[in-house]
Formats: sequence, C-alpha cells, structure tokens
Amino acid sequence: MDEHGEGRAAPIAARVHLAHAVVQKLADDHGVDLLHLKGPAVLPGLRAEGRQSSDVDVLVRPSHLSRLVDALESVGFEQRTDFSTGSVFAHAANWWHDDWGWVDVHTSWPGVTIEAEAAYGVLARTRVLREIAHRACPVPDHTSQRLVLVLHSARSGGTSDVDHAWVGATPDEQDAVRRLAAELGAEVALAAGIGELELHRRDPSYLLWRYFSEGGTRLDEWRARLAAAPTIRAKAELLRAATRVNRDHLGMELGRTPTQGEVRRRQRLRVRRAVAEVSGRAARSATRRWRRS
Amino acid sequence: MTRYRIADDVAWVSEVELDGGETPTAYLTRLPKGPPILLEGSGCVVWLALADGGTLDELVGATAAMSGTSVEEIRDDVETLVDQLVIIGVARED
Repeated sequence: MDEHGEGRAAPIAARVHLAHAVVQKLADDHGVDLLHLKGPAVLPGLRAEGRQSSDVDVLVRPSHLSRLVDALESVGFEQRTDFSTGSVFAHAANWWHDDWGWVDVHTSWPGVTIEAEAAYGVLARTRVLREIAHRACPVPDHTSQRLVLVLHSARSGGTSDVDHAWVGATPDEQDAVRRLAAELGAEVALAAGIGELELHRRDPSYLLWRYFSEGGTRLDEWRARLAAAPTIRAKAELLRAATRVNRDHLGMELGRTPTQGEVRRRQRLRVRRAVAEVSGRAARSATRRWRRS
Repeated sequence: MTRYRIADDVAWVSEVELDGGETPTAYLTRLPKGPPILLEGSGCVVWLALADGGTLDELVGATAAMSGTSVEEIRDDVETLVDQLVIIGVARED
C-alpha cells in the first residue's frame, strides 16, 4: 500500500482496528503509557454509528514518547512529519507503515493548555479498557472522550461529533465535561466547540479559536496564532515558522523528498500568496473608506 | 485430546464487527510485526469457530453448523486449514 491508496490486504476500517492493536502491543512490550483516541477507540453512544477513521490516533505520556518512537520504528513505521510541522499546535507527528497506514502520535490535545505530562495524567486517571481487534486498549472514559471529541470538533471547524458528545449528553454529563475542561485549562476550546466562544472575547486564544470555528485567510490564522502565543519567544518562533516552507507537508504532497529548487519555488509561492492577501485587504479597506467618504 | 484456540499474540476483526459486506471475512495479524492475513468465506467461519476454542471435532461441528453443511463434507478441509493456521502461528494447540 502507498500513502494514497487502499490497503493491499484489508479495507481501511479493518486496517485501522488492527493498527490500534499493533500500537498497543508495542506499548505493552516497551512500557509505554498511551491512550487510544477517536475511531474504534470511541466508546458506544459518543459518535454516529458507521463513522470510520482512516488513521490511528494515540495520546502518549510525553515522557514516554522516545520509547514509543523506537518501538514504532522497530517494526517498520517511518516518521513523515515531526511535531513542529505536524499541526498548528505542534502537538502531533505522523508515522506511516505500508501495512498499517498512518499513526498520529499526540503528546497533547489541541485546546488543553496545562503542561502536557500533567494533562496526560488527568486523562489517564479515569481510563477504561476497550477491546479493539480483540485486544484490550486503554481509552479515555466517557467524560474525557466527550471533551476530546468536542475539542477536536472545535479545532476542525465543527463536526457532527458535537451532536453526540455534547448535545446528546445529560446536564450532569455536560457539567462533568466542563469541570474536566477547567482542570485541563481547556475552557476556551470547549466554549468554541459548543458555541460559547463569545464569552471568552478577552482571552488571548479567542482569535485562534474563532479562526478555527469560522475559517479565514492564512493572514487571519497567523494573526490569531500570534495573539495566542504566550511569550515573546513563542511569538518569535511563530514568525520564523510563518516564513518557512513545511518540508514534511511538501514531501507528502509530492510523494517524495522535495528538492531545494522545489522548496524555493514553494517559498516564492507563499510570499506571492501573502502579498495577494495583504493587497486584497488593502483594496477592501480602501473601498470601504471610499464608500464612507 | 488436543484443543485449538487463537494464539495469544493475534489481533483480529471480522466483517460482522465492521458492519461490512455479506461475505464472511476476518482480518488478522500476529502482533506486532504482522503481516495482515485475510480469511474469507469458509476460512472465516473456521476462524470464528476457533475463537471459541475446542477440539478438532468441536471446530468441525461448529463450522458445519455455521455454514449449513455436513460434518463429513468439511472435516478434511477444516483439519487442513487449522493445521495451516497453527503452522503460521495464528492458532495454537493446547
């Protein structure tokens, strides 16, 4: 199987189930603490029947990450993105296996703001075992899964997960999710997921979550990310990243390692897009001023 | 009397659990190195019988009941398949 095709021996759903079991076996054998998320790890009633995942998501205890990486790579998984390029939140990296497909390894979950090791401890504290491919896999309990699904929905611009994970919850269950979100520092992200974001207009991460909820241009995204970055150092790192081409993503797009020339061409394209966005804004602004005058 | 069961280091899933197609299909693998193995049709039925464990006679009987055939008709095929599953390590004898 290649990264763009179906499994050679199993459909995606079967492959994902077996891949969860593979990762759990590796975790057991190497003393790695992790929780399985989404897809077949979702507990009954928290997601529409028939929903399928195309990859495996796990949340690893951050201090166990290097052990998990060694274990994954010992059986043929290859790292395709790293934590700095995997996502806005630098929270996940991806590994690929020709038989098992994608495994997304998370060290934290978007929206959770307390320290990652402590956050793992909170989510693992109430873990339960769920059979996936007839293997016992630790997964977050109902309350934690509701929060994980709502935060994922908030990050993804809204998904039907909220209907089951939040709207379908009883008031007591919703209160439990709010308490957990408070313990994890995830109140703003939860609010974004359940339509209460406007209550957090003064929060530094407000713009970021609004961007995720409502969309916007790349410029809007970077403005929001800058506002949410907690320190000057973090803001400076973001600005550096903003002008850098993501080699991992370009590589995945091309299906091979990009050449220096391809990276340079993509860099020029990014600059052109940025100029177009700024020009577009300037033009819109000028039009508004002209109409007012 | 030899009893057969699924080996401890095997993960598997069937179309029934995946809400899949009409042909009985099981996907299995030895953990953690694989590779994935596909058992379709009567092979899957034997696997599902193996999931409950049992002697060869019990496996043949369960397979015959599940597939609506007679014990005599399928005994040799079931025995051959179970032997192969043991050889590749996904089933074991106790």
